Amino acid sequence: MTKTGLVLKVIDNLESYICRALLALFVLLLFAQIVSRELFQQSLSWSEELAVYMFVWFVFFGASYAAKLSAHNRVTFHFKWLPEKVAVTMEALADLIWIAFNCYFVYLSYDFIFNKMNLFWKSQTLGVPMKYIYLILPIAFSLMTIRIIQVNYFKLVKGIDIRDPESLELDELIGDDHLADTQNNKK
Amino acid sequence: MAESTIVLVLFGTFFLLLVLGAPITVSLGVSALLSFIYLEENPIKLVQIAFTSVGSFPLMALPAFILAGALMEAAGISRRLVNLAESFAGPFTGGMSAATVLACMFFGAISGSGPATTAAVGMLMIPAMVKRGYDRGYAAAVTASSGGLGIIIPPSIPMVIFGISAIGLTVPPEAIEKYGSFQTVSISTLFIAGFMPALVISISLLIMNYLRCKKAGYKGTSDGWSLGHIGGAFKKGFWSVLAPLVILGGIYTGFFTPTESAIVAIFYTLMVGWFIHKELKWKDLVHSLETTTWLSGRVLLILFTATVFGRVLVENEIPDSIATSMLSLTDNVYLIWTMIIGFLLFVGMFMETLAAIMILTPVLLPVTYSLGIDPIHFGVVLICCLSIGFATPPLGENLFVASGISDTPLEDITAKALPFAAISVVGVFIIAFVPEISLWLPRLLAG
Repeated sequence: MTKTGLVLKVIDNLESYICRALLALFVLLLFAQIVSRELFQQSLSWSEELAVYMFVWFVFFGASYAAKLSAHNRVTFHFKWLPEKVAVTMEALADLIWIAFNCYFVYLSYDFIFNKMNLFWKSQTLGVPMKYIYLILPIAFSLMTIRIIQVNYFKLVKGIDIRDPESLELDELIGDDHLADTQNNKK
Repeated sequence: MAESTIVLVLFGTFFLLLVLGAPITVSLGVSALLSFIYLEENPIKLVQIAFTSVGSFPLMALPAFILAGALMEAAGISRRLVNLAESFAGPFTGGMSAATVLACMFFGAISGSGPATTAAVGMLMIPAMVKRGYDRGYAAAVTASSGGLGIIIPPSIPMVIFGISAIGLTVPPEAIEKYGSFQTVSISTLFIAGFMPALVISISLLIMNYLRCKKAGYKGTSDGWSLGHIGGAFKKGFWSVLAPLVILGGIYTGFFTPTESAIVAIFYTLMVGWFIHKELKWKDLVHSLETTTWLSGRVLLILFTATVFGRVLVENEIPDSIATSMLSLTDNVYLIWTMIIGFLLFVGMFMETLAAIMILTPVLLPVTYSLGIDPIHFGVVLICCLSIGFATPPLGENLFVASGISDTPLEDITAKALPFAAISVVGVFIIAFVPEISLWLPRLLAG
């Protein structure tokens, strides 16, 4: 793979990489906490707080990743009674509202962190300024907005419909079955 | 007057956006934001709620249980549990489909999701049933209907979500004055409380299955129980049977919190998958982490916006007015349960389960408090009702999965699943009318 190709791939899956690492880390951290408590009768004071903050970062990066996979649940069963053009326009309009909401939220959280928040507010056991921990909110909601635009660009301009991973898995199940059936028929 | 306009702003925007096809999380967030602006409240609260709604230790049970479930699938634990259930089929009428219900119960004890249960059990049991001469549509319908047990039998992801939503709500002081103090909601208590109601639903499914198999003439094998077969399946599945015992034993004895028990389950599965079954691959591990990422991100973003939505509801005393108007209709607790169950079944037909729990808990829990209903009991009934929605049209995830696996048309499975849904509803009414079914075990274990 070329260098730019690799860089593009990393950027394309950025949230996924970060989330996998965060998830593995906080699961390990919690396990270490249980082991140290049960086997060595020593509880770590800082581990729970650190794990919770990693979890929050994991959640919001994960939400952005879910947007990239267009996995956020919508109620769509009524779309099959509508002409396709109407349905596509409605969904695009809904996504536009989503983008507006995200932009406003990015503004709110940025304003909160840099103007409204008490700068000396620190986390209880780690002593990290809460300002840095809250930074995930503007970062993740900006990323999510980019991902929504990305999905819609593929759908409306390139004509590639990104379907959520659940229905893809279902298609795979159905596909496998057909395959098995044709193989059985051959016998 | 002001109250009714805020209801219009909040619910009107919410339903409008849903119909437009906006994600549930956006519909909740935007409608709550508009209500904030309408009420001239400072929307900066949203930022704090975004952080505090997600940043809680008990909530970490959610990704941990999702990850544990995905790993158990990859480590071959699920498959061995289903095989064990299958070996119990024996000489009964409808034995094989009864074994399917049993398999869903076993599987429910390690997984907290309905469609996942249907998929894992259906892949093995539907072909097995067809081989014994069961109708394909019936086989798929049994699996889809009992897949809902996955969320009633602990550990259960919907129960984690209900617990988190309920912990954040304060009990109305009028209710305490009238009925005395309520027990505090905890995820552990919910996990213990779900056990007996799950048995009630399972037994009702088994009765319906027996009646229908008798009519259709699905007989068991003539050679009776095969002890060797059961023994073999048990020996192969020994480490898999231990998995639910590790998870539930830790919680029921109070040794671990649900989050911790899920973490222990993850490491137990890694050990079994790598060293004993030798089936777990690096690729599976990465895939499990990835699935957990987007599933958690999706659900917990809804949790943030649903918390804001719930805040608007409670601050404007909307649940209170619902409770008052319900009480003005009747003060018979059975009639009120009937109304609540009817409403929940209806919502369960259309809405994704976790989103429904997050939206309905702040609306309904204050109502049930003011009627003197125990919050744990309400949570169990809520989850049982929504679990039926997995196997009813138009949004029955289990039906889609079962139709995909069995290669039968959706309509066929749906029609054959309806009698099971009907008997489950009867089960739910029993659970709702007899609070002791849910409350007896937690009290016993609490000592």
